[in-house]
Amino acid sequence: MLKVTNLHATVDGKEILRGINLEVKSGEVHAIMGPNGSGKSTLASVLAGNEKFEVTEGSVEFEGEDLLDLSIEDRARKGLFLGFQYPVEIPGVTMANFMKLAVNEQRKFRGEEPLTAAEYLKMMREKAKIVELDTKMTSRAVNEGFSGGEKKKNEIFQMAMLDPKLAILDETDSGLDIDALRIVATGVTKLHTEQNATVVITHYQRLLDYIVPDYVHVLYKGRIIHTGDKSLALKLEKEGYDWLINEQQ
Amino acid sequence: MQNAILEQLPTLHIALDRPIEGRSEQLYRVDDPSCLELKLAADARLKLLVVRSQAATSRVQIELGERAELVLAELFVADAETTVEVQQGAESRLQLTSLQLGGGVGRYVVNLMGAYAESRVNGLFALGGAERSSLTIRTNHQVADCRSYSEVRGLAGGEAVGRFDGMVYVAPDAQRTDAFQQNRNMLLSEKARIDTKPQLEIYADDVKCSHGATVGQMDQEAIYYLRQRGLDEQQARRLQLTGFADDLVMRCGCEEMCAALLEALNAKLNRI
Repeated sequence: MLKVTNLHATVDGKEILRGINLEVKSGEVHAIMGPNGSGKSTLASVLAGNEKFEVTEGSVEFEGEDLLDLSIEDRARKGLFLGFQYPVEIPGVTMANFMKLAVNEQRKFRGEEPLTAAEYLKMMREKAKIVELDTKMTSRAVNEGFSGGEKKKNEIFQMAMLDPKLAILDETDSGLDIDALRIVATGVTKLHTEQNATVVITHYQRLLDYIVPDYVHVLYKGRIIHTGDKSLALKLEKEGYDWLINEQQ
Repeated sequence: MQNAILEQLPTLHIALDRPIEGRSEQLYRVDDPSCLELKLAADARLKLLVVRSQAATSRVQIELGERAELVLAELFVADAETTVEVQQGAESRLQLTSLQLGGGVGRYVVNLMGAYAESRVNGLFALGGAERSSLTIRTNHQVADCRSYSEVRGLAGGEAVGRFDGMVYVAPDAQRTDAFQQNRNMLLSEKARIDTKPQLEIYADDVKCSHGATVGQMDQEAIYYLRQRGLDEQQARRLQLTGFADDLVMRCGCEEMCAALLEALNAKLNRI
């Protein structure tokens, strides 16, 4: 589904990603961990097409196509979803209106008819249940005045609405209390199928109690320096990153 | 200008020698009056939309009797110049929306002359090209126990220039005044400019007054966020503009009026 080869990227001339290699197949869950500043969020942003970053080397294939050639919106319409670490507030625009536009844009891209108002409402109610989101929230402005937990639930609600092939969740667990973490993580698990894939970027092992990864990668100074199975996350939680970093030097 | 809702509205005919009586739920329109005098008798209620489609100068004088209610909007689709003066009696209510979509000069002076009068005067200009708009709102709290709320938003693209002058005056005897004035602006291009000057002049000591003004640009993070959900750049920009402008218009106080104003606003936003 996703094949990242020797990916290098810079921001303001500073190299953040220094040769990432990563392959994600349908049905898989990957976790990306690593110390602060190792390039985890940059990787997510570059894959989503954030124009702040410049790709200087390497390639990314998504569903057999050159991902780096596509605009931000075309990547999204083809099924790449980024769960934002800091979801953006959009005053005056209701969630319901925003999602209706987004869902119908995606349908148009696939050559499907737009949803009727009734179909859309039904879909919204069903998907809101996945993250125990009060449907009243959908008549509020996007993320405006939402608590930390509501913002993250809202990201997963959007993921449920858009049903992506590949979801990249950038520190979806940050700023969540234990209940919100359970709801958000359980929501992600419910959305996982053999046809899609999830990449979770996280600092903490506790998220991976719910979202069990097939692979755990450690990112350090813009490279994946180690890959293991779910037991690696537990080891990192106990022992930190030093043992891996020392191995590098 | 094509506007299906506007076209269906009946024109208001006013007898100059006597005030308007009674409560009406009908929304009326008046087109390009050069001079308009409106007197609402005590307890009267009127909803009126004034359309400015000619680049002319005009003067509007309004008197609201006790407990009278006026829902008024001025829609500028041409570069018109108007001065609107309102005298409000005790417990009267004014809801005024000024929507400038083709440049123009609007001066609004509200005199709160009777206790417990309330005025809400909101304004929005959406400008492109070389259009110029100026909006002045002056609220004079002459007596105690009145409330005034005023929100103005400005959008300017191209080489447009917008200006807001706000003044809340509180007379020495106007104790327990509650006044709020806010101005938010968004610049859509490098060459557009918006000047803002919100002012308070307070001579009473037991009052609650606040004001503020901001000038910002479109939020690039928000555009990225919306595009990541599959909207193209133009849709993302447009959605942000709609979010900025719509809710102010939606508070115009009359559903049918809101619909007519929103239709005009949408048509304009498509062209900025």
